Amino acid sequence: MNSHATKARWLLAACLVSIVALVASGCGDSGTTAQPSDGTASDGAASDGAASDGATDTGGSGEGDDVVRLGILGECEGPFGGFHEDTVAGVTLALVNHAGATATSETTALDGWSGAEVNGTPIELTGIGCGDDTPDTILGEVRQLVEQQDANIVIGPLSGDEGIAVAEYAEANPDVTFLSGIAGSQEPTLEVQAPNFFRFHGDGAIWNAGLGDILHNQEGWDTVAVIADDYSFGHTSAAGFIADFCGVGGDVVSRVFPPLGTTDYSSFVQQLPNPDEVDGYFWVVGGTGTQAALEAFVNAKGDLTGDQHAGNLFFNPGLASALGTDIAGAYVGGFAVLPGDIQTPEITEYLASADETWDTLATGLTGGEPGPPSTAAGFGFMYGYYSAGVALVRGLEETGGDLSPEPLQSALAELTLELPYGDISLDENRSGIVDVGLSRLVENDEGEIVQEAVAIIPEVDQTFGGTFSTDTPPPSRDFPECQEADLPWVGNAIPVEDGVPQE
Amino acid sequence: MSARRPLSPGNLVALAVLVFLLVLPIFGTEFFVNNVMTEVMILGLAAATIVFLASCGGMTSLAQLLFAGIAGFMFGNAALESGARGLTLGWPPWIAVLFALAVTTVVAFLLGALGSRTTGIYFLMLTLVYGVIGYFFFAQVVTVSGPGGVTSITAPAPLNGRVPLYYAAVGLSALVYLAFRAIGRTNFGLALQGVRDDPVRMASLGFNVPFHRTLAFTLAGFVAGLSGLLNVWFNGQIDPASIAIGPTLILLIIAVIGGISHYEGAWLGAFVYVGASNYLRELPLVDRIGITPDRFNTVIGLIVVLIMVLSPEGLVGIAGKGRGWRRGSPRARSIEPPTTSETMEGTAR
Repeated sequence: MNSHATKARWLLAACLVSIVALVASGCGDSGTTAQPSDGTASDGAASDGAASDGATDTGGSGEGDDVVRLGILGECEGPFGGFHEDTVAGVTLALVNHAGATATSETTALDGWSGAEVNGTPIELTGIGCGDDTPDTILGEVRQLVEQQDANIVIGPLSGDEGIAVAEYAEANPDVTFLSGIAGSQEPTLEVQAPNFFRFHGDGAIWNAGLGDILHNQEGWDTVAVIADDYSFGHTSAAGFIADFCGVGGDVVSRVFPPLGTTDYSSFVQQLPNPDEVDGYFWVVGGTGTQAALEAFVNAKGDLTGDQHAGNLFFNPGLASALGTDIAGAYVGGFAVLPGDIQTPEITEYLASADETWDTLATGLTGGEPGPPSTAAGFGFMYGYYSAGVALVRGLEETGGDLSPEPLQSALAELTLELPYGDISLDENRSGIVDVGLSRLVENDEGEIVQEAVAIIPEVDQTFGGTFSTDTPPPSRDFPECQEADLPWVGNAIPVEDGVPQE
Repeated sequence: MSARRPLSPGNLVALAVLVFLLVLPIFGTEFFVNNVMTEVMILGLAAATIVFLASCGGMTSLAQLLFAGIAGFMFGNAALESGARGLTLGWPPWIAVLFALAVTTVVAFLLGALGSRTTGIYFLMLTLVYGVIGYFFFAQVVTVSGPGGVTSITAPAPLNGRVPLYYAAVGLSALVYLAFRAIGRTNFGLALQGVRDDPVRMASLGFNVPFHRTLAFTLAGFVAGLSGLLNVWFNGQIDPASIAIGPTLILLIIAVIGGISHYEGAWLGAFVYVGASNYLRELPLVDRIGITPDRFNTVIGLIVVLIMVLSPEGLVGIAGKGRGWRRGSPRARSIEPPTTSETMEGTAR
């Protein structure tokens, strides 16, 4: 009994100690890290009064700030959890290439960097948030970065629904500057319109611009069935294709929306029309779902013919390993980067810089195993964060290293970034106007499936010539409707032959 | 805590904790007060309903987060004036609060009535099914939510600041804590405990067993709805992922960590959970031993396993053991058959 009692006493003591430690770590740093945004006193009494007006005025780059405390919203869990390394690597590479930083480790980006500086203003990594594709989690993480770790600039998030939540958080925290990582939903900029939320990349709709034009006018598709993940990015991506395909005169005869994270797609595939009833299918099914959905299609509807299929960025040559070479002929929408066979000196230099910065990186593209850093750098997730990092550096150069919210945010809004995969400027809602690279899966001489660029659609913005605006609802299961429209890029597509744009 | 001895040690500790929480905004950091402690209070409130059902009624419910979610969704639909998501009814916010609580309570009553004849593992499974159905309902029915949820929600005045929200969460928590304890001593509470211990005998004595269970479930649903309102004001948005199976289990885990037969345990468990999720990463060298934020669930899992092994009654149970040790014979006390008054009054200490 004595030993039992002693154990209980020790447990009680351990419990109390851990609670006291937690309270201490929460309360004890009040004077050191609490950073008022507006230059008011940071003592507790002031914080009480200041916070009670509803504004969440912690963190932020006050007038006296001379260090960029950069928080990165990564994605270490959930459907895109494999791309955590990619997110931090993108930002790090931008600072290595443009702000004189040195990566701390040669095998992981998560250890951060040292020596980043722009016009005398150092850029320090204050923390890495860990999202899981849900708004609740990313809100907790961004609060942690801004209000506990005192970040004054935040880069991220990665995923669509997270982007909306972070943009709304940005709206409530005007002194913190937010640069979207690669969140591809439409609403963060078109609906929320927080003046301190900048997106130097396109959205899911933009990345499919021009695809419908090619499929309808070149491939002769008149009718199409769309199957898309049932969440904001899936809706946005499908909306871009539908607006484009219908805009040039095609017809969408069926829309099916399986929930994100579905593993058995057979019941959803059954809802699609048969191959002889429709000219083609457009797939917006992400992650591991792409292959599972296509396999369900083969089981339900018979063998694939690549000519009858197209997909957004999730279509890739890797599908051939499970589906065979029948997938050849399928068209693929763009992502933040151009297809891999387009090689310019800028792209080559950019990819080489990634390989010089790290020996290996365990990124999402290499399945979490150590692989060449340039593989990840050539994919949209890392490149989106890279673009945000470059934007931060260029913005600071414009302000002469001044971190104050007003000049920095004004400078960012006016920037035109010269990036390896094309220049990016912002529209009036601070969303990127970007070039989109469309491609096709083809069989090469060795019988392997490779991705080949077919066209570049220049300077696409998120309004699609008026189809989407602040007055229209966000993309959903039934918006946009299928109707003809004037699309700004029809006839302006730059064809690509053998990886060379024919300008 | 004892009503007959107002100055008992338990009452004094509870009072001290309350005073500490009330003055905390004066010296705590904004992050600690407005994020960590507010979330602790919100989660504790929801977990307390699990404790109430389990300790008083012998029902372990996995549907409590659903009721919190229903209240949140209903408030968002009723209060928002414009926007792309939900019904955007644009009602006055306090009317929306009443509407949200009314809908939540009615749904809890109906679901409670449906499940009132099941017990044990079947009740657990049934409430899990409620949770799953609720998740898919809000994910699929775009009229009230859809997969993207309802966003841009603000709290009604005067709660539309972060410190007022904290005080609202503390106030409601204190109120609910006292109310749950008081209910245990009412005729209804005593009958409910009788239903928990021997439903057949209670039925033969003339008590309507299913009705008592239904009422308890309804009350728990209402309180979970209060927590859901606070949560949706705290986060400014709610989406189906907020009430998915993962967060549902986390709420149960919070109740287990604290001690599923003690009301204090609900908030204590929430404190450990929220504290660990926010501060574990800041401990020195913790990332060197592999405890990065993405391993957080592993750590929480280990804490739960540890608690299950060392003290099935959770952290409060550990504290209770400590008290018992000081009195001399914890084990002897624990194997004594409970007296009638202990059963009736001390079930949820």
